[in-house]
Amino acid sequence: MTALIEARGISKRFRQHKRFPGLLGAFKSLVTTEYTEVTAVSDISFDITAGEAVGYLGPNGAGKSTMIKMMTGILLPSAGTLSVLGRTPHAERMANARQIGVVFGQRSQLWWDLPLLDSFTLHQRIYEIPAARYQDNLKRFSALLDLTPFLDRAVRQLSLGQRMRAEIVMSLLHDPKILFLDEPTIGLDVVAKDAVRKFLAEINRERGVTIILTTHDLQDIETICPRLIMVDQARLIFDGELTRLRSALGSARRLTLEFASDPGPVPLSSATLTSDEGLRKHYLLERDDVSLVQVLGEVGSDRDLKDVALHEPDIEEVIRTFYQRRNAAAAAAQ
Amino acid sequence: MRHQLSILPLLVRMYVKSQMEYRGAFWLDRLAQILSYGAVLLGMWILLQKFDLLGGWNWPELALLFSFQLLAYALGASVSFTQLRDLEDLVRLGTLDALLTKPINTWAYLIFSGLNVGYAGHIALAIPVLIWALMAAGVQWSLGTVLFFAGSLLSATLVTGAVITMIGATAMIWVRSNHLFSIFFGFWELTRYPINIFPTGIQAVLLTVVPLGYISAVPVAVLLGKPVPLLGDFAGLAALLAGPIIALLAVAHWRYALSRYQGAGG
Repeated sequence: MTALIEARGISKRFRQHKRFPGLLGAFKSLVTTEYTEVTAVSDISFDITAGEAVGYLGPNGAGKSTMIKMMTGILLPSAGTLSVLGRTPHAERMANARQIGVVFGQRSQLWWDLPLLDSFTLHQRIYEIPAARYQDNLKRFSALLDLTPFLDRAVRQLSLGQRMRAEIVMSLLHDPKILFLDEPTIGLDVVAKDAVRKFLAEINRERGVTIILTTHDLQDIETICPRLIMVDQARLIFDGELTRLRSALGSARRLTLEFASDPGPVPLSSATLTSDEGLRKHYLLERDDVSLVQVLGEVGSDRDLKDVALHEPDIEEVIRTFYQRRNAAAAAAQ
Repeated sequence: MRHQLSILPLLVRMYVKSQMEYRGAFWLDRLAQILSYGAVLLGMWILLQKFDLLGGWNWPELALLFSFQLLAYALGASVSFTQLRDLEDLVRLGTLDALLTKPINTWAYLIFSGLNVGYAGHIALAIPVLIWALMAAGVQWSLGTVLFFAGSLLSATLVTGAVITMIGATAMIWVRSNHLFSIFFGFWELTRYPINIFPTGIQAVLLTVVPLGYISAVPVAVLLGKPVPLLGDFAGLAALLAGPIIALLAVAHWRYALSRYQGAGG
């Protein structure tokens, strides 16, 4: 299959006036001709094929939004080649715009004081959507997202969740091939998040719309995106199936052994003791290829083992461990 | 292109409809504008009761200058000022990003989605004063002066919109632009007065780097057959050409600023 989006060695650097600390520094910052270069995206490559749903995940400042802005043609990459639907997005911003949908979680594109339907009508005109297709899409998407009762209401009277659903409906009215969403569930309550996630998963599955979304929220990715691209400090650190993430980032399973009577120290070659409460001992299984049977064999049958619990880390934990380890490494380097 | 143009009236209708959500405030604002500009005009009248002439201009001539400036400003600013003043916020809040993902000319969208009908107050004051002053100031009417009047008013409108566009567009490079608007209005207030009353340095600035001389002092002096410092016989031609030339510069500057746009972060 050919790729809808091809990113090859994409980097984005921003030049900022150098800032100096202190009050005197503030004045110095005003007149300085020195610049610092901030790298928001560094040498990132990936392919996205038609019909995929990809989660773009990373902490604040990792360069997620910058990547979205390059793919939608808002920003020009500093290095690398980027192709979206066969076009260079920044050079052909308008042509690109007709075939993509974009939702920015914190930047509304709706007309605040007018009935919701007015914003949709304007969208129809700008994207030249034929009337029949427009009506059809409007009816279908509004029904799916429970928006139909609110179409005549002024946008300012809608809740945050209703507005976000409206943004998503609007972004799909012109049948875009790719839908970009930047933090689509930010600030929403649990029910609204759930509605948005289910809807996105459905239009990806049923209508084949390729979805790329950035998020902080792993639940978004678990529901919508089989594929995960993870970035950190401008670099790509993982690209693959969500299920492969644990082994790729080498996050450890946790093992708890509970004894009927205190066995004394129980050293294991395949696991590291993390805490010892006498009857209950906690270990980390850092290697993936070690099975529970192997570990138990090492414990031996002469000790009075009562219970065993093996805890598989969830993604949230995997990622937390990754960042903790990275921060520790950075602290050690200093 | 034709498709894009056909959207513009819809944008204006939507914007006016939005404004009418706050009808009471709208009319109160217009009244406030008429009163505040009326007060400026009254101040000039009082001054002229005492001195008769200001830089060789009498009361009807100054009223003509004032109303020409106000009308050209109102027409030019209605298609530029509030929209481009707010561009700074669009950049800072990232709303401009969303606009850039639409298949429509960004400048046209901005201008027409915020076409400021609020300048009706300026216009309601400027037109009657202008008509009275044109009759009272003794303009020598001919086909030539009628065409010059219309052409120079259009040119002055273009200068206003173009200078404001250039200032506003800098927000796409520096994020902030509003301090430049303060400078603009500083010079703009000077253009209510004949240009010959200022020192040569300020005259030169008003005719070159901050070309606001062309929105009132130059065309009105030509209309009244008064000498224009520095420009001399070229004043009439300069008044007519200033608008189109500065507008072309503004288009180039807008494109440049848009190409330098880096977002506000994130």
